[in-house]
This record gives sequence, structure tokens and C-alpha cells, in this order.
Amino acid sequence: MHLDTEDSQRLLEELGRFSRERIAHLAARPHRPIDGRQLALLTGEALDMGILPPSTAESGFGIWEHCDTAPAMAFNTGALRHIAGASPGVAFTWHRLALARWVAVQLGQSLGADDLTGLQLVPTGHYGLARGSLARWLRGGALETADQAMLSDWLDRRTHTTTLYAPEDWKLLLWPVWAGVHVTWQLVDRQALSVRAEKAQHGFDELAGFSVNLAGEGSAIAMAPEISRTLFTRLFKLDMLGLMAIGAGALDQGQTLARAYAAIRRQGGSAIAAHPAVQHMLSDIEIARQRIDMALTALAQPVDTLDTGAVAAARANIAPALCHAANQVMQVHGGIGYMRDAGPEKLVRDQNMLKLASGGTRDLHAFLAGWTGACA
Amino acid sequence: MNTPDHLQGHLPADHRLSPRWQFRHLPLIGRMLADYPAQDLWQTDFARLPRALARQRQRARAFTEQHILSAADELDLAPHLQAGECHPTARRILSEAGKQGWLSYFLPAPLGKMPWGTVVHAPIWQSCLIVEEFSRGCGGLMLLLSAHHLGAMPLILSGRVQHILKLLAPVYRSCERGDPQLIAFAITEPAAGSDVEDGHGAQTYHPGVVATPTKGGYLLNGRKCFISGGDLAKTATVFAALQGEGMESWTCFYVDCSDPGYRVARTELKMGMRASGAAEIELSDVFVPTDRVIGGLRNGWVLNRATLNASRIPVASMGVGFARAATETAVEFAQHYKVGGKALIHYQDVQLHLATMVAETRALRALVWQEARLAWKPRQLHASLCKFHATDRAQRVCEMAMDLLADHGARHENRIEKIFRDVRLTRIFEGTNQINRLSLIEDWQPQLLDPDHPAGV
Repeated sequence: MHLDTEDSQRLLEELGRFSRERIAHLAARPHRPIDGRQLALLTGEALDMGILPPSTAESGFGIWEHCDTAPAMAFNTGALRHIAGASPGVAFTWHRLALARWVAVQLGQSLGADDLTGLQLVPTGHYGLARGSLARWLRGGALETADQAMLSDWLDRRTHTTTLYAPEDWKLLLWPVWAGVHVTWQLVDRQALSVRAEKAQHGFDELAGFSVNLAGEGSAIAMAPEISRTLFTRLFKLDMLGLMAIGAGALDQGQTLARAYAAIRRQGGSAIAAHPAVQHMLSDIEIARQRIDMALTALAQPVDTLDTGAVAAARANIAPALCHAANQVMQVHGGIGYMRDAGPEKLVRDQNMLKLASGGTRDLHAFLAGWTGACA
Repeated sequence: MNTPDHLQGHLPADHRLSPRWQFRHLPLIGRMLADYPAQDLWQTDFARLPRALARQRQRARAFTEQHILSAADELDLAPHLQAGECHPTARRILSEAGKQGWLSYFLPAPLGKMPWGTVVHAPIWQSCLIVEEFSRGCGGLMLLLSAHHLGAMPLILSGRVQHILKLLAPVYRSCERGDPQLIAFAITEPAAGSDVEDGHGAQTYHPGVVATPTKGGYLLNGRKCFISGGDLAKTATVFAALQGEGMESWTCFYVDCSDPGYRVARTELKMGMRASGAAEIELSDVFVPTDRVIGGLRNGWVLNRATLNASRIPVASMGVGFARAATETAVEFAQHYKVGGKALIHYQDVQLHLATMVAETRALRALVWQEARLAWKPRQLHASLCKFHATDRAQRVCEMAMDLLADHGARHENRIEKIFRDVRLTRIFEGTNQINRLSLIEDWQPQLLDPDHPAGV
């Protein structure tokens, strides 16, 4: 099955309606975030609509089901952007859920609808991106001992605590582990893990935070080194693209809020939109939007033709701009923007969450150094 | 556990190529010119302060460590309280702070608890030192303890001895007995945030709180919003226009919050600094006797601006406190968190990151101390510059700390996410940083408009 540009557009329009009418409706009061029950309800609706793939056996046009054409990739990021325009937390949940299903399919795992809705994905290690070692492994060729040791430590699920943001009632976890010379995957039941619920987290109020360790040995899904590298490379790119798309949706929401407020709030005898100080901030937001638009357009390519370094560089470039834009949305609002019932402050926190997810963005510099040939 | 004698990429201090080793082995005069003790950075600055101020800084640090740090988490995560309610932990800290003089340090004994040794230094400097320490511990508790001084400032700046003796001194005495009587500062109105902090905006603003003359005093009507500590305050310095007049008539009234007609309508659900409430206040025919007009009729605008000039350098110091907390958090994380079998601190890129953070933090402190040291009559330009620059850069330092913690930066228990939420407010209150930039220019006009002399910077 293939998705052409026209199909993609029609699906996105439908998804836009769903996001506005269902998700945005539930997310309308930012200080009362979508709770676990509502999120489960929305996820059920998304499964029914085909926004999320129903099982590993069935095929449709859900998010991340197709990654082999430019229109399909534009649909994936467009869909996440629409959803994030209503709720970045919901978009993050579905992004990870859809990616988990995608990985499960690649691994030949058979999961039904019940398994899928309780499935969580951790795409990276316990901290950062294993400095340059991950990049060197992804590039191929023989790995130095130091890189192997670094990757082994990065994906050591017993010694190190992995941070997870997920719905309260998740049941299964899919995560990569290091198998000597390459990555393999573990599909672990929650019961087999040592899980500690966090008291609170910075953003994604719709979700809960967990610290997770592997309690026992855990069994890995066997796979050939080359397949392992290809799978991880694709996943790594898709995850970064998804995070950027969600950030774009959060930016869209913030831009709408800032423009609307600037048009009605009066200071100095006129609407604040007339003041250059505010215009400058609105322009900062617009510049960030143009940057993310350009990035997502340029990166709407079949996943295998995308350069991993280009995606990583785009994330490193875009994430601070998105955070800055969210801060400018808050600043345009002044005091009201700081309040939890207004909206901008949640967007600031959610953009921070996106920046910190999947190893954060600081280690992307080390990753890029490794990707472009730097040694350990 | 063995402590390594050096970080990777650096020589140990006793290595022959280490400057530290070399300095120690210079001849006497060389040692006198080049050798130095490698003190803790806080201690270094401590030693640079006049002794009385250094003691206050040390006391504030001790109070923070004993009372503030341990309560920060509890108060940040506590359910939102209804207007007028005070969390028992916050109440206990307020009482203890009062006894220790942290609510009465703008006047010396017998009126307040300012140590006599500090009276020869600008009070703003002392305030900055205290605010930095408290901010490092918890933004919300810092604000709970500091907004009170903002409320009291118009009483002091009015220059009227009777206001100080009859109104402020009893408040200070009560605080020192452990019965805190907080004062709130009420300028912001629902339709006026920047307009009450900027003359250009004020000239077109139609005042929302109005004082109507009546027998023996005035009746106040209208609403004030975002009043820090306004939910717990016993009294408030409320700014209102006289009936039928514009902002030029703004007058400061000292209002008893228990008087009929005074109502805390709600408290805000804030992103951070949650230990301190931001209140919306409704005034319905609140009677204020004539002797509680502060600084005289139509002198409210100047009192407001003078108060902001006095408060903006301490707000900058909040930025220093948050940047310091962020840097300390990042350093501690880097010392303990291991990647690839070694602590993050051993990686060169992490060292570069931390070096930038500590340089930023200390540059901000240097800026704040430079302006605070001579702030007997704080100049608007200096105060605004300090405020917007320190708080903008402080947020950047907090973001750098979050970035360093990466996957762990969003976890509440790692502290940095709260520090970020707290620092974010400093770029908005006491005038947004945009208004503070314009405030700098407003004050710089004589030089900027002088055609004969280039403006010096």
C-alpha cells in the first residue's frame, strides 16, 4: 500500500479535525491535564480511526507504519504535528507507541491491540547518546574496544536507571540492549522490571515519570548485526523526526496563543501587537516556525535516504529554537503567561521535555563528531 | 572510595608542570606575587565582602541550609491552597525568619534587625546577598520572605519618619517576635502590567483602582492582580488614582487587609515559586484614613518608580541565586553520574559546559555587586540593566544545567526542573525584561539626546 501526497493531505485534514475536536477539547484547561482514563479513551479512538496501528499483524496508514516514501514521511510528521498542536503530551505518547509497534514488526514480534496499548518504547540508553560511540557503530566498520565498552555501558539496563515518561498503566517495555558487538532488543514485562514512580516531572503532565532498571537477566531477541544496525539507524532517525514534529505542533499552538493575546491585550494605549518589543518576540516565534517548517520539509524523505547526521544536526539546531519560541510565547503574555491555567507555561515545559528526551540535545555534538569521523 | 588526584585531561596539583606546584616553589617575592590559595568560590567572594556584610551572607546561607532547602520540595509539590491559607511549613519558616531578622533587615536596631556594621553599606547590597542565598534554596520561599520588603519600601522611601515609626516599626517588632506581619506591594492591575511600570504607557492608562475622598480619608475601589504575598499580607501598600484624575494622581495608601471591603479574590496557579502566593485583590469601598496616605497625595508614581529602582537589583540577585543553584546542581551531577565507567566531570566537553556556567554565574554576581555596592540612590538605568541581563542569562545557565542532565533533567528530584520554573518568573515580574530595557533607555535619554557629547558607555 502506498500513500500519495493527495491521500496524505486528506488523512491529515481528518486528523486535524480529530485533534481540534477531541484532543484540544480535553486539553483546553492546561492546569487540568488529560488524565489516564481520558488518554486511554483517546488512544482507543485513535486505534479505531487508524491513526495508530491496531496490531503488528494488521496494516494500515497509521503513524510510522510507512516510512519508505516522501509522502508517507510527510504524513507521519504532519500527523504528530497536528496532534501536538492540541497536546504535545498525547503526541509524544502516540509517537512512542507507534514507534514501538514499528520496532516490534521489524523484530517479528506478534502483538495484539491489548499488548500494543500497554507497550512502551525506550529508544536510547541511560544518558545521552553514548558520546561518539553510537555514531561510530551506526556508520559501520569495526568498533574500537572503547566504543564497545561505551555502548555496553550506555545500554546496561541493570546497572543504570532509565527514565521513562509514559501512561500510568503501561505493561510492556521494548528497549535496546548491547550484545557484545551490536544492539539487540528486549521486550520486558513490567513485572520483570524494577520500577520506581517519580514524584513529579517537569512537563508532559498527561504522563507519569518512572525510573526503570532490569531486575533479572532479561532475554534478548536474537538478530544479525547488520539488521540490528539498520533497524536502529531507522529508529533513531524516526524518533528524532517525531520529536521535532511534536515540537512543531507545540510551536503552532503557542504561536496561535501569542498572536491572539497580542491582538487583544492593550498596553501603552494600543494593542500590544503594535509595539515593536512584542512584534520582535512574535517574529522570533515566526522565525522558529519557518526553521522547523524548512527542516521537516527537507527531511520528508524515505527513511533510508535520510542522512542520520543531517537529522541529528537538524534536531540540535531546531530544539533550542523551539524552546526559545515557547519562552517568547510566555513573554508576550507577561504575568498571565506564567500561570498554569493560561497555556504558555505548559508549552515551555513540554518543549523542554522534548529537548531532554532520547538522550537530550547536548550529546548530539559528540554524536555528530563521531558521525563525521572523529575517533574515540 | 578513592578520590582521584586529578581530572582527566589535567595534571595533578603536585605535578612538576602544574602551575600550582610551580607557584609554591617560587622564591618568596615570586610566591607573594603569583601564589594563591585555591579557595572554594563562595569563600573567595565571602572574603571580598566587608566583614559585616559577609556575616549577613553567612547567616543567610545557614538559614537557607537549615530551613529553606529542606522545605523547598514539600512546598513546591503541595496542593494549591485557597486564598488566605498558609502551609504549616511555610508558616513555621516565616516565624523563624521573623525571629532571625530576615523580615526586618532594612532598618537597624532598635527599629529593625539590620546589623549596625552594615549601615555604612547600601542596604540594597545587603538585600542582594540575602536574596541570592535564599533563591539558591527555593525561589518560592525566597519570594515569600522578600516580597514583604517590597511592600515596606514605599514606607521607607516616603522619607516620612512618622510612617517608619508608626507603621513600619510595629510590623518589624511583630516579625521579630515570631508573629510575621507581612506587607504586600500592590501596583499591577488586570488591565495594566507594563503600564504601571513605564511612564509612556502610564500616560494613556485609565486607572483601575480609584480612591474617592470621604470624611477622614478615602474609599478605595478596584482590583489589583499578581500581588506576591498578597494572600497572607496583613497590610498592603496599594497604589490608586484619585477620583476623576489620571495616573499623575497615583497615591500610595497603606491598607489594612482585615478592613471591610478588602478581599483576596483568588491566588494564581503559578508555574514555579509556588511557596509564595500571587493574589488577586478586590477592593470595595475600603476605607483608608488620611494618616495612611504614604508620602503625600499624588506622590504614588514617584514612590512606585523609586521602589522598583530599589527592588530590581535584588531581583537580579535572584537570578544569581538560581544560576548558582543550577551550576551547583550540574557540578554535583557531573561529579557523581557515570558514563562509560567514569564520572561525567572527566569528559572535556562537560568541563567546557561547566566552565561556561560558572563563568556566567560569577559574571552576574559581579555585575549585581558592582551596582548594589553603590546603590544608595539606585539609578533606574543600573537597576533595570542588572535585572534584565542577570535574569535572562540566569535562565540560560539553568537551561545549560538541564541540558547537562539530559534524560535526567526533567526528574523533579534532580532539582533543576524546579530551578528552571522558578527562574522563569524573574524575567516577567518587576517589569518584563522588555520593559526594563526600555526603562534603561528612558533613564539614559539626557546622554542619548545630547548632540554635543557622545554618550559614554
